[in-house]
Amino acid sequence: MIAKKEFEDAVRSRWLLALAGLFVLTATAFMLIGAQFLGSGERNTFTSSVVLQFMNGGFTTGLVPLIALVIAYSAVVGERQSGSLKLLLSLPHSRADVVAGKVIGRTAAVAVPLFFGFLLPALIAALGPLQFALLEYVGYLLLMILLAAMYVAIAVGFSASTASGTVAVAGAVGVYFFFTIVLGGITGAIPFVFGLGGAPDWLPITVGELQLVLRLLNPSGAFKIVSGEFLRGTLFATATAASEQRYVFSTEISALVMQAAWVLLPPLLGLLRFENTDL
Amino acid sequence: MAAISLSGVTKRYGDVVAVRDLDLTVEAVEIYGFLGPNGAGKSTTINMLLDFVRPTEGTVGVLSHDAQAEPTAVRRQIGILPEGYGVYDRLTGRKHVEFAVESKDATTDPDAILDRVGLDGDGDMKAGSYSKGMRQRLVLGMSLVGDPAVLILDEPSTGLDPEGAKEMREIVRAEADRGATVFFSSHVLGQVETVCDRVGIMRDGELVAEDSVEGLREAVGTGERLVVTVDAATGEQVDAVRELDGVETAETDGGTVTVTCDPDVKTTVVSTLEDEGVSVQDFTTEETSLEDLFLHYASEDRTEVGAT
Repeated sequence: MIAKKEFEDAVRSRWLLALAGLFVLTATAFMLIGAQFLGSGERNTFTSSVVLQFMNGGFTTGLVPLIALVIAYSAVVGERQSGSLKLLLSLPHSRADVVAGKVIGRTAAVAVPLFFGFLLPALIAALGPLQFALLEYVGYLLLMILLAAMYVAIAVGFSASTASGTVAVAGAVGVYFFFTIVLGGITGAIPFVFGLGGAPDWLPITVGELQLVLRLLNPSGAFKIVSGEFLRGTLFATATAASEQRYVFSTEISALVMQAAWVLLPPLLGLLRFENTDL
Repeated sequence: MAAISLSGVTKRYGDVVAVRDLDLTVEAVEIYGFLGPNGAGKSTTINMLLDFVRPTEGTVGVLSHDAQAEPTAVRRQIGILPEGYGVYDRLTGRKHVEFAVESKDATTDPDAILDRVGLDGDGDMKAGSYSKGMRQRLVLGMSLVGDPAVLILDEPSTGLDPEGAKEMREIVRAEADRGATVFFSSHVLGQVETVCDRVGIMRDGELVAEDSVEGLREAVGTGERLVVTVDAATGEQVDAVRELDGVETAETDGGTVTVTCDPDVKTTVVSTLEDEGVSVQDFTTEETSLEDLFLHYASEDRTEVGAT
């Protein structure tokens, strides 16, 4: 119920309209450019999923987390500061209801513009020179919503655990830089630091394994593993198509589990602090 | 069954004690006025009833529930007008009431509520454009949803004009007639005096007095304060005033003499001072303030606290 009110409140925000516009513009641009380049030569050999693969790098993992954090960082602390939290908690809702409602409501507030933003590109993909892979398209949309949910969950967790709006903003900015830029950069730089082949003696695992662990721990990394495999059509595939398969089955499962953990754990930790605090 | 019961409740914020060893019981179907100046611990006490704030020591009960262990069960049965709330700027007034109705699983008609608190015709406006008084009416309306057994109102007349405050008091009376217990706080004596059955007076985190409203009226009635400006007055000269019938207290700082007395002995006080050789330049009377009430109750036997 809180999620519903949350969503009703959020959809009245001009932010959301701007967001949908942004998604429409960027996704459409990607699809148009993709159609131009891929569709020109041999017709019908490329599918819309190839375009999505291009988007997966910069657009999706750069923009979606940023927007999710912006939409959710003030979810709880903002209401605490404005006093509307007192209104909410005057009614028969528990603090756990509030945190859960915020995660669901704000995820929906990112998901809806995402959905509408990807309608027009879908049309272009369907009518244009590309083969439109509908299932992959919808599946990728759902995976993006999962990505948004992770960052919403992290932001709400922060938001619930502090009484200061500044701390919540700092937390969101820090999370973004750490996961998308710092950790991603370190993960990418590791082979160059240690050399492509071996690993330093003190490290019990190989460079490749270290990279994999860092990638799995990073919500964006875990997302890329699953979404990349999904778009290539090799998610949960058995090892027969070994040349195409970048990640093994167990890694894919781990990546999914990590994503679930990112959705659940930050709000729970935030709630733990929120439960024991005076408003 | 008591509607509200606090026993041995203390709330500390670091070194600051907001509420100290508070015992307070509000019986079912009474209107209890919780009086005290700002900062006396009224809101902290109310926030503990609502589980916004957790007591450092003691237990807080609302109806048959422990306020800290079962906050949602408590909120299902009570209506709340909290202090320092904010509205959802982008949602309309009616949406606010509808949300309360849905949250409480009530069958209340949102428009009937808006009508009752004087917001008929304003339901489609966004709450962000409401004036302070309209917001106060809106949240009062939300508290009435589902005919709660207990109404807890923290400074309900805040932001209301005299007409609005009167309507609020009428709503409080109507709710009590319906069978609800009403617990409301105020720092304005007049608000409490006109509607309550019983009052509790907080000061510096402690309940300094509890009285029936008749007892309070008596205290207010006799507690008129006379401030006399004089050339000079000594302690002995003021002693003579203090011995007069109808005078409760009389003090001087040399330049003024402050006397708490029955309204009808005011002239006697002034003439007595003149008889004592004090040259009176001017005198004014002040209405009873909370401060005077504290003095009145402080001078009485403290065993009255807790007795009904």
